Amino acid sequence: MNDNIIEIKNLEKGFENSKIMALNGIDLEIKKGEFVSIIGPSGSGKSTLLNMIGALDKPDKGSIMVAGNNLTQKKDLSNFRSQEIGFIFQLHNLIPNISVQENVEIPMYGTGRSGKEMRERALKLLDYVGLSEKIKRKPTELSGGERQRVAIARALANEPSIILADEPTGSLDSKTGKMILDRLSDLHSKENVTLIMVTHDMSIASLADRTIKVLDGKVQN
Amino acid sequence: MSFFSLIVKNPFRNKTRTALAIVGIAIGIATIVALGIITDGLKASTEETLKAGGSDFIVVEANVSDMFFSKIDEKYVNEITKIDGVDQAAGVLMAMQSVEDNPYFVIIGIDAKNIQFSDMKITKGKVFSSGDAREIIIGKVASEKMNKTVGDTITLSGDKYTITGIFETGDLQQDGGAFMSLANVQKMESKEDKVTMIYVKIDKGADVEKVTAEVDKKYKSELTTVASLEDLASVDQGLSIIDTASWAISLLAIVIGGIGVINTMIMSVYERTREIGVLKAVGWKNRRILGMILGESIVLTLVAGIVGCVMGIVAIQALMLLGMGGFLKPVYNFDVFARGFAVALIVGLIGGFYPAYRASRLPPTEALRYE
Ligand SMILES: Nc1ncnc2c1ncn2[C@@H]1O[C@H](COP(=O)(O)OP(=O)(O)OP(=O)(O)O)[C@@H](O)[C@H]1O
Ligand SMILES: [Mg+2]
Repeated sequence: MNDNIIEIKNLEKGFENSKIMALNGIDLEIKKGEFVSIIGPSGSGKSTLLNMIGALDKPDKGSIMVAGNNLTQKKDLSNFRSQEIGFIFQLHNLIPNISVQENVEIPMYGTGRSGKEMRERALKLLDYVGLSEKIKRKPTELSGGERQRVAIARALANEPSIILADEPTGSLDSKTGKMILDRLSDLHSKENVTLIMVTHDMSIASLADRTIKVLDGKVQN
Repeated sequence: MSFFSLIVKNPFRNKTRTALAIVGIAIGIATIVALGIITDGLKASTEETLKAGGSDFIVVEANVSDMFFSKIDEKYVNEITKIDGVDQAAGVLMAMQSVEDNPYFVIIGIDAKNIQFSDMKITKGKVFSSGDAREIIIGKVASEKMNKTVGDTITLSGDKYTITGIFETGDLQQDGGAFMSLANVQKMESKEDKVTMIYVKIDKGADVEKVTAEVDKKYKSELTTVASLEDLASVDQGLSIIDTASWAISLLAIVIGGIGVINTMIMSVYERTREIGVLKAVGWKNRRILGMILGESIVLTLVAGIVGCVMGIVAIQALMLLGMGGFLKPVYNFDVFARGFAVALIVGLIGGFYPAYRASRLPPTEALRYE
């Protein structure tokens, strides 16, 4: 028995009939509540690794256990994603025609919450990211940093045990980026959420408990 | 916000494209509705003819394709009068003549003593005399169209007939035509001793079903009774042709509308590829994504259904204003609109299914990589 929330062994993932090997035998263990940053050159496989952990894609080889789920075997992964994972992307990817509050409610559909519970939870999360004043706005009426904060609130909607952030500050200026990071590290320290963040910025990476370097689809030691 | 209101909102993200799709489908629905209104109008006026005046049912030739082509021996009029429960029977012969610029001038030949079967009101002058005097009465609509009144003459097959009266029945077809004595029409058409149909009035307290059954049994191979529109359907293929045509148009509307919906929804799904990837990333089930896109498609077509029904009514009203009112009284039945909506729903389901299925099957990582 150990307290690893993620255990990855010899994970491989290729694209275009394995002509491109995005992951080339990844071995990785991450403890529950850890804050891990992932760095590496462009095309080294960071996003692919994050997608494997978040069960957005299936590996070709190897094993991957996340929060007690064997992802190579599981068939319907939507429940796993809904219950365990919160994604934050480089681009916020919010739905433009509905309000900020409604965007935060989106992940809660089909989770058994009533409309009132969904609304209350969305308001609480938007308050947490400092957007109480703008809940009725459309994403197009917000600044880049504000949109990314909405994306954080959305990622937290179903109380995930793991947050996967793929360059969350990549499209923001450094000041706005810092604000986003504050929220994420606060979340990590207060809620004991496991936080895995891909970044190109060494100063951001250094905030993490541990930094993992990925090169050519492998973890460098 | 509920899942439902998301579905209702989404189609209106691209207003122009959605509006175009709605108009396209609505035109199909409008055609179906307008045709339905016309068909129901024709049925109602046929029914009116059937229930003409005091007749309880009519007798026509067995196995004819159209009531108008029915031709039976006049001797049956007397025979039917003798059947138990029959009070009166009157033979009528219908003819169509080209008069001035109207090629479909309908002339009904009936004995003057039986004119009450036609439920008419003489608004001017009097009924033609019995016997073979060259006299005629014309309908109110015909009188207005030809600008002729009592005392004027009409030439039919080279013979001049004097107008003795103007009548009104309320039935557009009849009011656009004329009545003369049966003998005159028989002579004009060279159909001596023939009639098109026989109006039958039954005794007070007699049962229509019993009497018609009796007639049907007695003259199985020669005659058919028509007591209602349902009986008529087997006799009058004209209406069933219109019915078939409107079903064919419905089918066409489903196919064309369906293609329009598929196209619109595929475009919409394509544009939202990334968004669908996000929905998968936040844990939405494939089923929910399928339901969302299918729902959006149905919202689209139901709006088209409403627009189409309105367009159908407007089209009919326009036809009325353009003078079609002389031939047709529109009948607005709930069924017609229900059919329009049913077609809209089918189009939405069929057209939405493939795009919805595709969206639900999108691999999430590819969707998220989509620029
Ligand atoms: N769906 C795909 N189809 C084909 N090739 C892919 C696909 N996804 C990733 N790749 C390839 O796999 C390799 C790793 O991609 P990945 O996105 O994981 O890199 P990354 O480390 O996140 O890079 P960046 O820092 O630029 O985001 C790249 O060569 C990429 O082109
Ligand atoms: Mg990447």
